[in-house]
Amino acid sequence: MAGTPSGTGAAAVRMTGAVKVFGAVRAVDGVDLEIARGETVALLGRNGAGKSTAISLLLGLDEPDEGTVRLFGAAPEHAVRAGRVGAMLQDGRPVPRVTVGELVGFVARTYPSPMPAGEALALAGIAELAGRRFDRLSGGQAQRVRFAVALVGNPALIVLDEPTAALDVEARYAFWDSMRSYARHGHTVLFSTHYLEEADANADRIVVVDHGRIVADGTGEQLRRAAGGSLVAFDLAGTAFDLAGAGTDGLSLLPGVVSLEVRGERARLRTDDPDATVIALAERGAIRGLEVAPASLDDAFLALTATASDAAPATASGAASDPVARLAPLETV
Amino acid sequence: MTLDYLRLEVRRTLRDVGFMIGGVVMPVVMYLLFTNLGGGADGDWRTASMIGMAAYGAMGSALNTGGGVAEDRSTGWLRQLRITPMSPRQVVAGRALTGAVTVLPAIVAVLAAGGLVNGVRLDAWKWAVIALSLWLGSVPFTLLGLGNGYRLTAQATGVVNMVCNLTLAVVGGLWFPLALFPGWLRSLSSYTPTNRFAQLGTAVADGRAPTLAAVLVLTGWLLLFGSYAVVSYRRTARTA
Repeated sequence: MAGTPSGTGAAAVRMTGAVKVFGAVRAVDGVDLEIARGETVALLGRNGAGKSTAISLLLGLDEPDEGTVRLFGAAPEHAVRAGRVGAMLQDGRPVPRVTVGELVGFVARTYPSPMPAGEALALAGIAELAGRRFDRLSGGQAQRVRFAVALVGNPALIVLDEPTAALDVEARYAFWDSMRSYARHGHTVLFSTHYLEEADANADRIVVVDHGRIVADGTGEQLRRAAGGSLVAFDLAGTAFDLAGAGTDGLSLLPGVVSLEVRGERARLRTDDPDATVIALAERGAIRGLEVAPASLDDAFLALTATASDAAPATASGAASDPVARLAPLETV
Repeated sequence: MTLDYLRLEVRRTLRDVGFMIGGVVMPVVMYLLFTNLGGGADGDWRTASMIGMAAYGAMGSALNTGGGVAEDRSTGWLRQLRITPMSPRQVVAGRALTGAVTVLPAIVAVLAAGGLVNGVRLDAWKWAVIALSLWLGSVPFTLLGLGNGYRLTAQATGVVNMVCNLTLAVVGGLWFPLALFPGWLRSLSSYTPTNRFAQLGTAVADGRAPTLAAVLVLTGWLLLFGSYAVVSYRRTARTA
């Protein structure tokens, strides 16, 4: 039960070249991820992007086919055995025939230095449910019991797989408040979500996963900028870029432009430097119906996860097809 | 830690209405019915049936441990346990001990019905040794249940456990005296674990030690069911 000696200075999480293959699917396809102690990191991606598999590898529930996983410098099993890890798994159903208090109390006693069960219940906002049977709670209440189970051991690293999936809006806010107060005590938190706003509002750092790979890694602000800080849109008809003219290929060569999307008669340019892009368009007489807006995080996410296999219409840009390379300077590793 | 887990799982098992009815109430009711209907049974059968029904209840309860494992796999509770500091070994040990504890209510309840309702009279040491041999003899059935529970889905485990339970009970002669069986079934019966399991108790009631044959047959089943449990565990526990 003693802490591993190697665990004093090592990063909370270090995944190196992790690969997990299920049949023909590379669920995790070469992930390098390092999380420093005390960081709160969001793993953001669509359903099926590989978030849950990555979390399974991280917790030692699954073995990677290639690469290594280290928690606090040790194998995941060791970190788990030493009580440094707590987790809330995604598709657990309530444990039948046990009260909330019994369950949380039992889990607490398996850890070397837990918090009192009552404190965990209070943190999860379910102090009044201690005497209730776990299998007779609503989905949202059960979700918060799982949160209490994850944190009652007072682990240095807490991993939450889609923690707010079953929660309504109000419960969601309450949940994130609890999570942030846990993180403030110097604990490391990794959570997965497919809600951008949640990632942006609650994490120090967002790691965007798509098709089993990390496609971006940085703060919400950095992601917005990296995805092309602004959006410039205009009507193609009658400009030098319409079908009668030179076509739209030249647009991606304009100053600042990082990606291009054409929908019907309207071109949308993602740009690092909207001023330069607009001046260049004006010089070419292409400012009909001009619109300039800062990219939203949604735009950033869509740009980052757009790949050839997706249905994104006419994404024509060398940069967008290789977002990892483009974002390399961002990575905080 | 294992003891905490044992306490939790025993509590959960005793709250299972299906377990209490199938594993404790049913054997008692069946015992009282089978020995008191139609003019009532003679003293020998009152004692032999008591041991048979206690064995039947113990087997049902032992198999139920496997049902619990299958349920814990399907709800994700076993997976959650894997990310607590408990080792897989401790979890398995806790589960096996749970099986050992939860067979006791059935044994105690049926023996109590024999002594208090049916007027079975035995020396105190015989009661104690019968209870003890039924308790120890239930281990192969716990292993069979665990083998099913680690291998099959929760639903399939329930069905397979029930089929094993009924077949072994009837063929082993736990419900009806072997004397009523045709010869071929009687010889088949002597190879079943249930028949030999009950013999542990009936031998004691007759003031004899269990026969070598009974111990050998039971040991064979113990090894077989034990290997089955280990193979099933290795196959699925890692992905539970």
